[in-house]
Amino acid sequence: MPDIIRAEWLRYRLWVLLYALAHLLALAFLNRLTDLGQQPVNVLRVFAAGYVVTGLLLGLHQMGTWRRPNQWLNLLHRPVAPWRIGLGLFIAGCLGLLVAIMLPLLLAVAWQAYGTARVVDLRHVLIPLAAFLIAMCAYFAGAYGLLADRRYAASGLVLILWIMVAKASGPAAILLQLIASGYTFALAMLAFRPDLGSPPRSLPAMVLVAIPVQAGIYVLILLGGFIAEMGWIMSGTHPGNMVTPPKGGFTEAMRMSPRDRMLAGLEDVSLPDAPLWREQVALSEVHVIERPAGAPALRNEMSNSAPMAFEDHDARIQWTFSHRHMRYQGVDMATGLPAGILGAGEDNAAFPALATPLGDMPGLSRGDVILAAGPTLYRYVAAVKRILPLLTLPSGERIVRMTPIGGSVAVLSDRAVYLYDGRYLADGDHAMHPRQRVAIPGHAGDLSAIGLVELVDGYLVSFTFAAQAYDMVGVPPYLTVLRVNDQGMVTPVATRALGEDYPAIYRYRAWWPSPVILALRPWAVGFLAPVDDMDSHDTPPVPAPIRTLAWALMGISLLWGAWLARRRELSTPARLTWTLACGLIGLPAVASLWLILPAAERVPRLEHLPHHA
Amino acid sequence: MNDDPVIRTIGLCKRYAGKMAIDHLDLEIGRGSIHAIVGANGAGKSTLFRILLGFLPASSGEAFILGRDCRSLTPHDRERIGFVNEEHTLPGWMSVDAVTAMQRRQYRHWNQETFDETIGHYNVVRTQKVSQLSRGERAGFNLALTLAQQPELLVFDEPTLGLDVVAKRAFLETLLYSNATRDCTVVYCSHQMEEIERVADNLIIMERGALRNMSPPDDFRARVMHWVADIPFRGPDARLVPGLLEVQRIDGLYHYLVLDQGEGFAGFLHACGARDIHHLPVSLDRAVNGFLAKHHAVPRAA
Repeated sequence: MPDIIRAEWLRYRLWVLLYALAHLLALAFLNRLTDLGQQPVNVLRVFAAGYVVTGLLLGLHQMGTWRRPNQWLNLLHRPVAPWRIGLGLFIAGCLGLLVAIMLPLLLAVAWQAYGTARVVDLRHVLIPLAAFLIAMCAYFAGAYGLLADRRYAASGLVLILWIMVAKASGPAAILLQLIASGYTFALAMLAFRPDLGSPPRSLPAMVLVAIPVQAGIYVLILLGGFIAEMGWIMSGTHPGNMVTPPKGGFTEAMRMSPRDRMLAGLEDVSLPDAPLWREQVALSEVHVIERPAGAPALRNEMSNSAPMAFEDHDARIQWTFSHRHMRYQGVDMATGLPAGILGAGEDNAAFPALATPLGDMPGLSRGDVILAAGPTLYRYVAAVKRILPLLTLPSGERIVRMTPIGGSVAVLSDRAVYLYDGRYLADGDHAMHPRQRVAIPGHAGDLSAIGLVELVDGYLVSFTFAAQAYDMVGVPPYLTVLRVNDQGMVTPVATRALGEDYPAIYRYRAWWPSPVILALRPWAVGFLAPVDDMDSHDTPPVPAPIRTLAWALMGISLLWGAWLARRRELSTPARLTWTLACGLIGLPAVASLWLILPAAERVPRLEHLPHHA
Repeated sequence: MNDDPVIRTIGLCKRYAGKMAIDHLDLEIGRGSIHAIVGANGAGKSTLFRILLGFLPASSGEAFILGRDCRSLTPHDRERIGFVNEEHTLPGWMSVDAVTAMQRRQYRHWNQETFDETIGHYNVVRTQKVSQLSRGERAGFNLALTLAQQPELLVFDEPTLGLDVVAKRAFLETLLYSNATRDCTVVYCSHQMEEIERVADNLIIMERGALRNMSPPDDFRARVMHWVADIPFRGPDARLVPGLLEVQRIDGLYHYLVLDQGEGFAGFLHACGARDIHHLPVSLDRAVNGFLAKHHAVPRAA
């Protein structure tokens, strides 16, 4: 095997070194322009896409040149077991990726750590490893793409898709990437054998090959639905795209101004104060508390889910949060030299959670910045260069947004809206206590809009729950209005159901093709990722007609699977297993059976051949 | 050494998209000597080798090489089988020395003397990269590598395809006069009849995936006769001519190439009104070509 590794390394050596050099120069250039360690996920995704393409091309080229019939015969017809030859080639390929991708990234991180005052944490050291693993996963997927039967060879790409959609971050993401790379490696090794394209022989091998094929077919079904939706939009009848959305539906509600939405919530209210409220809503400013987009920042995540730096323009200092120290580290923007460390409170203690800047607020002194860390809101006081606590929510809650509401301040957590007196925010001498707390009357993941109107003796607060009303996950959309008085007592005013706009067959488009795969999807996407309360939904049960459709499809799949299995060269247990799998998993399993196991080659009997007669 | 056949197939079939590449092939090739396999393009020769070496699954039937089921060849079995194809595929980015060293480490019975003797017939510099060798030199290098492995069975799949006359002769002479081939069985597949005539002890003809002949080349040649007849009127209907492989009318004389007809064919020609009849021996090339051309597909209008 060392011979094979050496020979293959010699083949790619020059290209690998040239790639590594170009990669290093590109990183050095970009690191001069910006701090590559503090980039949002989309920037890292662009880099990852480049590494995926690199890995794929390497796998396709390497195996593409070897798999030509005579080359393949010459490579494998030797007294070395095929798996050893395959392993040798793959090790050489991985070595190439290590040098071309991981090494320049490590050098860039080392330069950041030892050549600058920028923040370098464990998460930055993980980036080269993640890049290498992603490239390796794509490399094996590319190799598998050329070694496996072309009918299902592209299924290795599903593992790359898994890495793309998975929510795991930091070391958990590394573990997930390791599993995905290991899976594609196992696929490539299975396909690496003299009789290329032959179906897997053992049950574990068959399961290993079938899972990504079925997942891939499922993704294609969803893609087909997406394409059909494009046609729906073009026809001008798509509820989300119609000039006039369906009456009474959630699309109409979401297109309303906050005032109209609040008035729509109060429309059928017959309480004695209702006419007065309607009048006040029509005349007053309706404030909006927006929910943040995207996932919360997590410790040791490789990209920044939220900005983790702010600037003190007067002092010419850029403060960047260090995940390692859980404090802000300053860099003098004029000299690039270290400019101190900022923790929480007077004693510069480590923050209990990641502290993300929320920006400045009206009434704050020049240069001051509001920061949120878990349940605590802080204020950076530029004059003394200290970060001081402003308020703390009950334990277990997380601050996600802060919005000025006239003279008050609204703080949105993952469970409630808190209203504070804004004056204390400006003077900063008092620990702030909420005047009112309004619990979110539903699941935070369903929440799409919050409106707030100040009354003479409190507030009217409207919550619209329609965040994912277009698919099966979200709660059936509704709008609810609450009143909270000056004493903090919350009273329900009205709840109005909104039309669902989309037919059930559309909303459940991910479910009925394969309920089993859909049940596994959240597990796969959320694998090793923490649960986020802002992503919880009050998912309704599946409607009976959709359940009937799914059962019917499973029945058809069972029969179709049984029919296909009979026409394959399979043992009775294997035939039975495939048939049951088709019935359970549905159309993706039927398609995988058809793709992985081609119909048996039927050879005419000797006496039926004219030239043998 | 046992007497088991080196290659044995029983009812072997391979079907590609509705076409039979190997058609119920029963073949048995004994140990020793040089066996030539000939056949038109698409006769199934390369498919047969690919099945025998375990690189292609058969549709049905069984195939054995050196007594082992070809679907379960071990690295040890592969060590006993040398294979040379027409492309002489070798890693072009490596030097001759590096490739040699790699092969030497992989093959336990490597014979450096055989390698040196064989490579000595070619003007190959050891530090040269394989990609810098001419096609003939690469063929010679490939042959040297294969012979030095000391295999029990040597399979050549059109090894001289694309070589010029000089390189072709050098290749054949190296093969014929090498000590390394003395103790092994050689299966030689080629379209070049002059090569077959020189090297083969046994002639195997394949056509459309089926075995059509297996005999010493001279025996096969003796089965094919070229008759020339002066028939004043119209010759007999070709469909009625027994064993007919080919018929031509040149300068008013009918030329018949027939199979397995013996002297009795003269009587047939006389009965058809022939006045003057004589027959000529045919070359192996002519005999095989005539044999293979008989069933070759022709345009409908021809």
